[in-house]
Amino acid sequence: MDVALSTNGRRLMRLFFALVLVFLYAPIAILLVFSFNKASVPTFPLSGFTLHWYHDFLTNSELQASLETSAEVAAISSVIAVALGILASIGISRSRFRGRGLVTAVLLIPLVIPLVVLGISLLLLFHVLGIQLSILTIAIGHVVISVPYTILVLLPRLGQIDSSLAEAAYDLGAGPVTTFRRVTLPLILPAVVSAFLIAFTTSFDEYAVASFVVGTRPTFPIYLYSALRFPSRLPQVIAVAVVVLTLSMVVVVAAELWRRQAEARLEAAA
Amino acid sequence: MGTGEGGLTLEGIAAEAAAPAPRRRRRLKLATPALLGLPVSWLVVFFLAPLAIVALYSVDVLALFPGPHSFALGGWYRLFHEGYIHLFSRSVKMSLVVSALVVAAAYPLAYFLALSGSRRKYVLLLLLIAPFLTSYLLRVLAWKVILGDQGVINSFLVWTGLRSAGHPLSFLLYSRFAVMLVLGYVWLPFVALPIFVTLESLDTRLLEAASDLGASRLEAFLRVTLPLSLPGLVSAFLFVFIPTVGEFVTPSLVGGTSGYMYGNQIHDLFYAGFPDWETGAVLALFLIGVISALTLVFVRFLRLGDARTI
Repeated sequence: MDVALSTNGRRLMRLFFALVLVFLYAPIAILLVFSFNKASVPTFPLSGFTLHWYHDFLTNSELQASLETSAEVAAISSVIAVALGILASIGISRSRFRGRGLVTAVLLIPLVIPLVVLGISLLLLFHVLGIQLSILTIAIGHVVISVPYTILVLLPRLGQIDSSLAEAAYDLGAGPVTTFRRVTLPLILPAVVSAFLIAFTTSFDEYAVASFVVGTRPTFPIYLYSALRFPSRLPQVIAVAVVVLTLSMVVVVAAELWRRQAEARLEAAA
Repeated sequence: MGTGEGGLTLEGIAAEAAAPAPRRRRRLKLATPALLGLPVSWLVVFFLAPLAIVALYSVDVLALFPGPHSFALGGWYRLFHEGYIHLFSRSVKMSLVVSALVVAAAYPLAYFLALSGSRRKYVLLLLLIAPFLTSYLLRVLAWKVILGDQGVINSFLVWTGLRSAGHPLSFLLYSRFAVMLVLGYVWLPFVALPIFVTLESLDTRLLEAASDLGASRLEAFLRVTLPLSLPGLVSAFLFVFIPTVGEFVTPSLVGGTSGYMYGNQIHDLFYAGFPDWETGAVLALFLIGVISALTLVFVRFLRLGDARTI
């Protein structure tokens, strides 16, 4: 007998699960349908197939500039966040020093701070210091948001690998940098890649903090938000939405599957 | 770092090998501050210091407009006497309802995945979480398209003759309902994750034992599974409650005036026609104060729960 679920219970839960998946994916499917709809307002009945809106967004230079800006911000912030995350995770995982709890708390607290508070506090900081708002000020904010995520991804992986490997490298005369590059990094590489992807996509999608510290170059979410106020731009935005949603889902799922495989391979080799 | 250089020569290797183990351990220990220095300073400079500046604004030591300023509690007075506190409690209620509903819906999903023994559970979990990993704004946009007066639902109802044109279901968009629906939609996939993790690490032999001792499935669930999954349940709840209580993006897109939340008020005090950074700073600090208190209470409660079961 299955102690967790009766046969009927299992059936019921499977049905519920399916319904939730429909609820989660239907809105995305609806966007997909209307992105090919001729009418400039997304209403029923459908009025014919067109690629017009996709063509429109491919020729919209403002939109493309915002995508480029977001890519820059995401690249800068995710590289810094992953670097800081690696340093922090190794530091936390390696030794039990006094104040370890406090340090970990400081590194993870941004997770439980509402983004609106983070946004205004950074705005005030840059205002007090007289720093001009630019894509760098957005990237700084995004690093604060992403560092905790990178630590949450890297720390469990560091806990899995055998610490005697690094010690052996030390005994064989490797310095800390060599040990990291030749021993630790290869072992945690799958987790590093996922941390990077999480940081990158978080930044690429982040609106709340960016809206407070944006300079003259809007990021993609900021462009989107302002475009949402003009009904005439809606069909075009829907077409962009479909492309972005599909791309990001494919990348994320592929990356996750790759990470599982890579870690399994490393396990098998060890 | 210097020893790394020497380590590449034969002498270096010999010296290193001869070095007693405590020295190696000391070096590992010395490296810890060097490792943690950069990340911790980044967060001190760009996270803790800014919060301190917010605190200075909240008591008027720093202010938006130039002029003589000194310590004053006017902002804190306004928080309690100008309706901000009512807005706060309304937003808290909205978030509590959303968090409770979302956790209640996510629990059976996580339970099904973790305990059904399905070999495809990771694929199904990924399918469940994937929407969360895509653009937040675009998922909100989808609902704007669906719920509007001219939107998918209303135009569908008119088209199929279920409602006459010109009489749309107008409560769908720009309402508290819309805000709560969209927040629930956005957070549901994510919330299943912490619950799944605790349920998956559950020792199923405990359930078998309960069953051998004559417990029904319901009893086993209520007295074994549910208490043991409480930590996951509470952290899932906090993971929705904390971001939603300070939310301003979703309400500003689908909330209209009746869905206006505390987070919108903070945003508007910094951006609207008459900015009032001092009051905005007070509102922000009050928000994180309440959130920290709540988090502490929940964590304490969980610890007590642990102690009792042991």
